[in-house]
Amino acid sequence: MGVRFLVLVVLSVALMVVDARFTLLKPVRSQMSLVLMQSYWITDLPQRLWQGVASQFGSRTELVAENEKLKTENLLLQGRMQKLAALTEQNVRLRELLNSSALVNEKVEVAELIGMDPNPFTHRIIINKGERDGVVLGQPVLDARGLMGQVVELMPYTSRVLLLTDTTHSIPVQVNRNGLRAIASGTGNPESLELRHVADTADIKVGDLLVSSGLGQRFPAGYPVATVKEVIHDSGQPFAIVRAVPTAALNRSRYLLLVFSDSRTPEERANDAAKAQQAEQNGEPPPIIPATVPKPAPVAIPAAVTPVPAPAVADPKTVKKSAPVATPAAKPPAAVPATTRERQ
Amino acid sequence: MASTRSRNGWIIWLTFAIGLLLSISPMPQFMEILRPLWLALLLAFWALYMPHKVGMVTAFCLGLAEDVLYGTLLGQNALTLTLITFLVLSLQQRLRVFPMWQQCLVLLVIFGLAQLAQLWLSALTGNRQPTLALVLPGVISALLWPWVSYGLRGLCRRFKIN
Repeated sequence: MGVRFLVLVVLSVALMVVDARFTLLKPVRSQMSLVLMQSYWITDLPQRLWQGVASQFGSRTELVAENEKLKTENLLLQGRMQKLAALTEQNVRLRELLNSSALVNEKVEVAELIGMDPNPFTHRIIINKGERDGVVLGQPVLDARGLMGQVVELMPYTSRVLLLTDTTHSIPVQVNRNGLRAIASGTGNPESLELRHVADTADIKVGDLLVSSGLGQRFPAGYPVATVKEVIHDSGQPFAIVRAVPTAALNRSRYLLLVFSDSRTPEERANDAAKAQQAEQNGEPPPIIPATVPKPAPVAIPAAVTPVPAPAVADPKTVKKSAPVATPAAKPPAAVPATTRERQ
Repeated sequence: MASTRSRNGWIIWLTFAIGLLLSISPMPQFMEILRPLWLALLLAFWALYMPHKVGMVTAFCLGLAEDVLYGTLLGQNALTLTLITFLVLSLQQRLRVFPMWQQCLVLLVIFGLAQLAQLWLSALTGNRQPTLALVLPGVISALLWPWVSYGLRGLCRRFKIN
């Protein structure tokens, strides 16, 4: 008996090491999960049945009330959408002026929560979309109000999502008001995130919205993450203590959105966006624009690299005006008394 | 004999399947921390009264299933369940003649040891549980033992599992 115990212990330790270090056991795990993950579906069945029954026997007045509520909500959202089109267009134009990469439209797909992780010390959920639905490792997950977390384990038809509030999770964020960057770490409490290493003098206030900054290359930029709940300045501490409440309903949402962002690099995205814009503006002949695109670079480079020759070139023109060149230097003193005189 | 064994084996496996379902069934947040170690309880009972049917290999396989369900490292729960079964099997002769409350106490110690092993293993993988609340499932399981034991013994008599 002791020998058998020893063999099993060694076997399980070996399995753990292999599972932690190598990807050898991933197919085994996914095959096992194919069968075992059905049990999450089974434990979710009473809830599903209850919802089905409730929707069958929902009274007419309730349905009418709900319908009306949804209609008003829809109206409000559509009202906001009207402005959104104009704002998006404006944003694209401003980004063009700044020569920064174009906005990307992420695709989303709806997934449903089918189970919670039974371990109370981790914040993970199980959703009903998996590898066969195109989900990838590290994919961001949203709900209607904000970011929820990321996919950490893939199974054929299900996947496990690590929530923002897990103690092992951190997300790069920035304050929406002024762009101040920080890192929001989970605390193990589903209603609280903590901002680490925020300087005591940083401009951050209670009520500030924190959005994802996209710096970690994992979450897309600009999704709401949390609102600041309290900022504590303790002179004994090197950093301010900042706590925030996640905007997403981490322990209540049943329907989630999986974000499919493209894996292209920013340069490729910018090029593709430029091409798409050219395709839109078919009135102008396309070959001219590629010719103009390299042009700004040669023009810009002399301007930047040769600031010294530029005055030298300019000198011959100003040789005649050598006296006026000296006068500008003399002018300001003349101007200063003028202003002082005005002041007097 | 062989026919009875094949006829009754499925009941044991059915209890294990129910145990697996119970160990992942959704619970209110505040009760999550008190979730009994259902598989450990069932394994302890069957190892105590059916040692020729349920042994450490069964415990190992169930532990692997639980690992897949929980998303922990493959082998983590397998190790703790094997440990529990080993301890129960080695104390089996004495445990069977103990009165119920004494069985509870011994099982409390066994479950506590298993939870301690679990804590070490999860600390190795980087998500250490922040409190000592990890012994609570062990306590709850030990308190549940009399009911589980009576219930399963009734099941044994009803279906004449041997």
